Amino acid sequence: MIEIGSLLILGALVLGSALGVVVSANNVYCALFLIVNLFGLAITFLLLNAVFIAAAQVLIYAGAVVVLFLFVITLLSADADRISTDPHPWQRNVGLLLAGSLGAVLAYLLAGSIFFSNDGKGSPNLGIADAGKFDGSVEGFGRAIFGQFLFPFELTAFILLVGLIGAVVLNRQQGEEGNERW
Amino acid sequence: MVIGNPAFYLGLSAMLFAIGAGGVLIRRNPLVMFMCIELMLNGVNLAFLTFGKLWGSNDGQVFAFLVMTVAAAEAVVGLAIIIALFRPRQRVDVDEVDELKG
Repeated sequence: MIEIGSLLILGALVLGSALGVVVSANNVYCALFLIVNLFGLAITFLLLNAVFIAAAQVLIYAGAVVVLFLFVITLLSADADRISTDPHPWQRNVGLLLAGSLGAVLAYLLAGSIFFSNDGKGSPNLGIADAGKFDGSVEGFGRAIFGQFLFPFELTAFILLVGLIGAVVLNRQQGEEGNERW
Repeated sequence: MVIGNPAFYLGLSAMLFAIGAGGVLIRRNPLVMFMCIELMLNGVNLAFLTFGKLWGSNDGQVFAFLVMTVAAAEAVVGLAIIIALFRPRQRVDVDEVDELKG
């Protein structure tokens, strides 16, 4: 009973903060709701034995990405008053309809397929397959990422380098007489 | 045993993705749209981790890690583009960017 209750609270936290990101009028509140959402998801990741991913979630997302968002929000004026009235009000209803249908289809396909595929015996339990081999430990994750997935891991370093250079190049300032000032 | 029921995590992931997609569709502030993209990526990460645990494999965690790295790079480049586009403008609104409109 406690288990179900705490899981429901966790799900409500994650989904409620996600809705907060979408509906908040103030951009700073959006970013703060995003932090709550990321912490809730980190707890969910812990329930799935993904300890390293949960820690990286808090460090990278809540620690770095959201702070970057907050910097940009303050740089580009945090007040929402400058948003004009919507020239296409019907787009909101169509968007809500599309998102609702997408959610229904995805929930049916993901959760429903798991629920109905197990020869009618209901939902399978997590961790029944090779429970001894997989424990979600950092060691197993490290062996996977530096063994089988070494090349994709090295590619991410290149992607981060490209992102770094791209951020500098996109925002270089134009000096006098069109000379680029770095 | 709800805590070991993958349908809970997968349903959560689907709803998170749908909320993020709805935010991208209805919001007009590019920064909030970007945050909604992060929501969608996190929903996908949750599905990856659930399936990884379901099949007893580390691959789900590796994929989630790669998604997080790419999301960080994407946030950096995207925010740089947003700053370059909207710093000279009065309003932070995606409808303002219509130079390519015919």
